[in-house]
Amino acid sequence: MKKYLYIFKSELMTNLQYIFDILIGFISYCIMIFIFLNLWNYIYSDPSEVIKGYTMNQMIWYVIVTEILWMSLGSRKLNRKICNDVRSGNITYNITKPYNYVEYILFSHLGVTTLKFVMVTILGLGIGLIYLKSIPTLSFVKVIGVLLSCLFATIINILLITALGLFSFFIEDASPLFWLYSKAILVVGTIFPIEFFPAFLQPIMKYSPIYAVSYAPAKLFVDFSYPKLLEAFIIQGIYLIVAFLLTHWIYRKGVKKLNVNGG
Amino acid sequence: MAVITVEKLSKSFKVKIKEKGLKGSIKSFIKPKYNIIKAVKNISFSVEKGEMIAFIGPNGAGKSTSIKMMTGILFPDGGKIDVLGLDPTKDRKKLAYEIGCVFGQKEQLWTHLTPYDNFKFFGAIYDIPESVVEQKIDEMRELFELDEFINTPVRNLSLGQRIRCEIVASLIHEPKILFLDEPTIGLDPVVKEKIRTLIKRMNKEFKTTIVLTSHDVSDIEKLCKRVIIVNKGQIVLDDTMENLKYHYLNKKIIDVKMKEKVNLEEVDGITILKDKDYNLKLEVDLKKKTIADAIKLLNTDNMIDINISNVPLEDIISEIYKDGEKE
Repeated sequence: MKKYLYIFKSELMTNLQYIFDILIGFISYCIMIFIFLNLWNYIYSDPSEVIKGYTMNQMIWYVIVTEILWMSLGSRKLNRKICNDVRSGNITYNITKPYNYVEYILFSHLGVTTLKFVMVTILGLGIGLIYLKSIPTLSFVKVIGVLLSCLFATIINILLITALGLFSFFIEDASPLFWLYSKAILVVGTIFPIEFFPAFLQPIMKYSPIYAVSYAPAKLFVDFSYPKLLEAFIIQGIYLIVAFLLTHWIYRKGVKKLNVNGG
Repeated sequence: MAVITVEKLSKSFKVKIKEKGLKGSIKSFIKPKYNIIKAVKNISFSVEKGEMIAFIGPNGAGKSTSIKMMTGILFPDGGKIDVLGLDPTKDRKKLAYEIGCVFGQKEQLWTHLTPYDNFKFFGAIYDIPESVVEQKIDEMRELFELDEFINTPVRNLSLGQRIRCEIVASLIHEPKILFLDEPTIGLDPVVKEKIRTLIKRMNKEFKTTIVLTSHDVSDIEKLCKRVIIVNKGQIVLDDTMENLKYHYLNKKIIDVKMKEKVNLEEVDGITILKDKDYNLKLEVDLKKKTIADAIKLLNTDNMIDINISNVPLEDIISEIYKDGEKE
C-alpha cells in the first residue's frame, strides 16, 4: 500500500508545478456556471418555485457540485494517457515494475484530481456564496458524507475511464468510447438531476454509473438525509467493486494481446 | 548456475495488411487481411550467473521481442522461459523485484521530478526502506557522477544524463539481472564510453548478470564475452567473443603507401580492395596466403608506410547476417 501512496504523492508533486494550468481551467468553470445561472434564472419564474423537488438555489448548487466533480476529474487527460501508453508501448516499463498498472493509474490520477478538487471546490463554493448568498445547511456528518461520496464517485469514474481506455489493446482507437461516456455523464448526470427525466427512465438511471459518479454526491449536498446517505454508499460501494473487478479483468485480457514492435 | 533458460521459444505477431490507396483502405475495412509474422522461431539458450551477454541482429530480427518475453512484457506463443526459477508470464510481479530493465527508446522517469525524487519513488515502488534508498542513491551518485544534475528536473536533462538516470533507476533495487535494450542509442561517443564503463563496473561489483541488445558493435566488443546473433527470429550464432574473432578474423587488411605506382595482379587469397595513385589496400586471406606473401608482391624499397589491421568486427557481423539470410 505504501508504494501506491508514493505514486499518489509523486503525481501530486508533479501537478503542483502546474497550478497555472488549473487556474486557466477556472475560466471554463466560471463560464459553465454562468450559463446555468442564467438558464435556471430564466426557467424559474420566482426563486421560491419548486420544480421536480428542487428550488432554484438547490438546482444551482447541484450543478456547482457536479461540475466540481467533472472539472477536477481531468477525464480527457486520463483517457489520452492510457490510450497512448497502450498504443505507443510505453506501458512496457509499467509491466516490469512490481505494481499493478490499474492501481498505478488509479493512484497517480488521484494525485491529479486531488489538487484540482481542492482548488475548484474553493472556486465553486465562492461563486455559489457570492451569487446565491446562501448555502445548504452543513453539519459535520454531512460534510464528511459528501466528501466521501465525492471520493467514491471520482474513483469509480477513474476506473471506468481506465477500462474504456484499455480497449486500445483490442481496437485501434478507443477514444470514441470515451467520447460517448463523457458526453453521457455531462448531459445526463451533470446538467440535470435524474428527476428531470421521464419517469420510465429514472429507475434505469438510478442504477447506471451516472448515479454513482455524479448524482449521488450532488444530491446529498443539496438535500441531505441519512437514508439517502446510506443508499448512496451502498450503490457506490457496489459500483466500486464492479468497476474495480471489470477494469482488472480487461487489463489482464488485454495485456496478453500487447504488441510492442520495434525498439 | 543458469539464471535464464529459454527453450524453443516462439512468438508471432498478427499484422494487418492493406493494399495501395483508398481502394485498398476500403477493401481492408470490409474484409481485413492479416499477415502472421513470426518474430521469434524456436529459440533456445541459457545464460549463467554473472555473465554479460549480447543479443545482436539487424532491425526486426527478434532481439527486442526476445528480451520483452524474458521480462514478462510479451506473452510467448510457444516454448518455455525460466528466469531465476520464475515463469515471466505467471510470476510477473515477483520477477519484477529481481530484474531491472532499461529500454533506450522509452522513458520510465517522471519528467517533471528531479532524479533524486525519481530514485526515491522507485525505491518506494520496490518496498525498500527509506534509509537504504538514501544510501543506495549516495552510492550511485558517486558511481554514475550524478552530482551536477541530481536536483534538476528530468525534463531539463540532456539525453546522456537522462540515460544515466534511467539506468540508476533500474538499479535501485539491486536486480540480479539487468536487461538493457539499446541503452546507448543516440548518445555521443564520450557518453557511450562512460556508460559502458559503468555497466562493466556494475557487473564486477554487484555480480549483476547483464543481457544487452545493441546495434553498436563496439558496445558489444567492449562489454560482452558472449554473443548471440539473431536473424529472422532464429539464432544464427551463439559463441564467445573470442571464438567469433578467432574464426572470423582470419583476414587481414594491409594499407601501403608507395613511392611509385605498382601494377599488382590479384592472386588467390589476396584481393585488392583499393588502388588509387600510390595507395594500395589489400585483403589477405590467411587460410591461403601469409602476410609475407603479400609483402613480397610489393617492392619494399619503394614503401613509404605500411599498416596491417584486422577486419573490423562490424564487417564480420554483417557478413554473418548475410550468411544467415542465404540459408
